[in-house]
Formats: sequence, structure tokens, C-alpha cells
Amino acid sequence: MVLAEIAVLLIGPLLVGLSMGLDRKLTARLQNRRGPPLLQPFYDIAKLLSKRPQMLGDLQGLFALFCVAFQAVAFGLFAFGGDLVVAFFVSSMGAVFLVLGAYSAPSPYSHLGANRELLALLAYEPVLFMVIMAVGINGSFLISEVPPGLLERIPLALVALLPVLVILLEKSPYDVPAAHQELATGPYVEYSGPYLALLELARWYQLAFVYGIATLFIWGPRPAGDVALKLLLAFALLFAAILIDNTTARLTRRRMVLFTLTAGVGLIALNLIVLYLAGVI
Amino acid sequence: MGLMDRIGARSPWILHFDTGSCNGCDLEVWALLTPRYDVERFGGVNRANPKQADILLITGPVTKKCEDRLRNLYEQVPEPKLVMACGNCASTGAPFHNCYNVCQGVDKVIPVDVYVPGCAARPEALIDGFVKALSLWEERSKAAREARE
Repeated sequence: MVLAEIAVLLIGPLLVGLSMGLDRKLTARLQNRRGPPLLQPFYDIAKLLSKRPQMLGDLQGLFALFCVAFQAVAFGLFAFGGDLVVAFFVSSMGAVFLVLGAYSAPSPYSHLGANRELLALLAYEPVLFMVIMAVGINGSFLISEVPPGLLERIPLALVALLPVLVILLEKSPYDVPAAHQELATGPYVEYSGPYLALLELARWYQLAFVYGIATLFIWGPRPAGDVALKLLLAFALLFAAILIDNTTARLTRRRMVLFTLTAGVGLIALNLIVLYLAGVI
Repeated sequence: MGLMDRIGARSPWILHFDTGSCNGCDLEVWALLTPRYDVERFGGVNRANPKQADILLITGPVTKKCEDRLRNLYEQVPEPKLVMACGNCASTGAPFHNCYNVCQGVDKVIPVDVYVPGCAARPEALIDGFVKALSLWEERSKAAREARE
């Protein structure tokens, strides 16, 4: 039983890692390049782990550890049918530790990245929270008790997840915190080697959690069909994010917050109002 | 651990530094990242961050002003690391040899693993040097690990 639980905790980030490889390959193909191998994200992690550890202070490493631990717990809560709201707050805590880690280094790039990461949190967390509220509005927030047919009832919540995913995947037009052009990866800038690998792993867990929420929307007939449909949905979201990434330039941080807080939250609110007027909730 | 040392060579993150180049070699280095030469197929990504870099692509003769900066950057890169001198100037100083304001080549300041000749160094030659440098990664990685232990 314990082994099965550990396996689930490993499969989540493993699948996300594969999706990151697929992302880089597809992005390369869209730009008419060959692109790196599919397993590139795993090579990167292995390489980072074999580098010499280098820290600017004890706190930096500690925050990275906390970050990955909280994100793993959030994903674990999700995978084992726990409470969605608790998982959401634990995941947010993980994101806050990323910001704290960035603040703990005396570096202007890192601090600017941390500020922007906070702004990104402000942009995507309310949307994610509204999605979770919409999922659980008929009674229970326990994932094991989520009713089927979410896609028919709250399709707009799934649409609202897309900008959240774009922000979390650090893609244009909302790659504001990482901002490769002027901040050189923002909050990650002072991390290196094994600690950067930890943060990358934390990101994979966080993405696994968000992809997981998206997969709640769709149910297949048999277990095999169910898994296939869920994977297909996650891939569709990823592909939409890649298309958006390759066709847009980065917008300002103000536009990011404005868009998600109006369009994102608005879409879900609209969906809920329609349901309310139809007498479903 | 041997596997880890080998896999590392498949993910060389790049730091490009211009120590006073005429920008000729810089343009060729940037061309590596374009669809035509696509160095990302070897896993190479330009990180623009010494702390996350594995391989330094240095262009230009090292001017006296840049000497300390180059050393500083090199020391910030955690081991294992590789250094590539891109172009004639970075290799020897070339036309700036014995100039009062240059150190004549990157290897007068930091250890260099691969020299890529050319004025400017062609992207094909740079890719060749890049792959050659990566063949040194495994032993470098092993040495760095043993030094830590």
C-alpha cells in the first residue's frame, strides 16, 4: 500500500516531466527547429544534481526544500482523494516559499523576480480558487466525491484554467516572473545545481496538481478510457498554451493581473450565475 | 553515479560572455540558437546566468577592463564546467596581440578547454567545438565529484 502511494507520488511529476519534454519538442517544431530529445527535462535534472552545491545562505536551500515538500504534499492530497481546498492552500504555501527563497538572496534580479512572482500569485491564485469553488459547489470538496459531468456544468471554469496554466508554465504573454529577457529567470536566478533541481521538481508537482484539477472535468467509461481521456485533456491544455506562447509577445505585469482577475474570474462567475438562474445550484 | 556523469553532457547550459569582441563572433554564437543551427538539439540552452551555466562561450580578446569580470564569472560557475574560446581573438588575441590594453586570449586569464579558430568563427566550427567540449564532460564531472568527496 505504501509502495503504491510512493509510486503515485512519483508518477505525477514523471508525467509532467515528460510533458515538459514534449513542450520543448513541440515549441522547437513550431519554430522550425529539431529541438531537444523528449527526455531533456530529466537530463537537465540529473545534470543539476551532479553539479557542485552552491548557496548564498542556509535559508535559500531550506526554502527550496520547503517549496518542494509543500508542493509534493499538495499533489499527494490531490492524488489520494483529499480535500481540494486544503491541497490548494498547501500548494500556495509552496509557491510562497519560492518567493521567500528568492527574497533571501541579496540580489536585485532575485528580488525583482520575487516581487513579480507575488504579482503572478495574485493573478492566478484567485482564478484557481474560483475553479475549485465551482468544482465543489454542489457539496463536497473531497476529490473522491467529485461528481462526474463537470465539463457539461462548468465548461467555462476549464477555459479559465488555461491562463493559469500559461502563467505556471512561464509562457508568453504571461511569463512575467521568469522574464528570460530582462530578469534571467527571476526568482530562480540565484539558485544553482541541486537546489535549482529541487525548485524544478516543485514546479512539476505544482503543475501536476493543476493538471490534476483539469482532469477532474472529464470522465471516461472504463478505467483505461478514463485515463486516456484525462491525459488527452491535459495534452490539449498544454498544446493550447504552447500555441499561445508561440504567437504572442510578453505583456506587462499589469495586463496579466487585469486579464486573469477580470476575464478569468469573470468567466467562472458567469458560468455559476447561469447555473444558478437555471436552477441547477 | 557514472550514469549521472554521462547524462550531464546531454544538458549543457550556456553562458556567453563578450570580453571585448567586435561582435562578429557574438553574432555567430547567437546563430547557434537559431532554427538553422539549433544547438538545443544537444540540450544547449542559453541561461545568461553563471550560476546555472555549464559551458562558457567566450568571444573577443580579453581587455584589461574585462579581465577581473571574466575571472569573477568563471568562479561563479559551479563545477563541473567547460570553457570554449570562440574565434581567433579569444584564442590568441589575434590582431590585438601585444596591444597595451588586452591580455591576449582567454587562456591567459582562465583555463580553456576548446579553442575554435576563425574570424569570425563559423557556426559549424562552433558546433564542432561545442560537441568536442562535451566529450570532456564525463571525466570533468567525475573529477568534480571526487574532489567534493
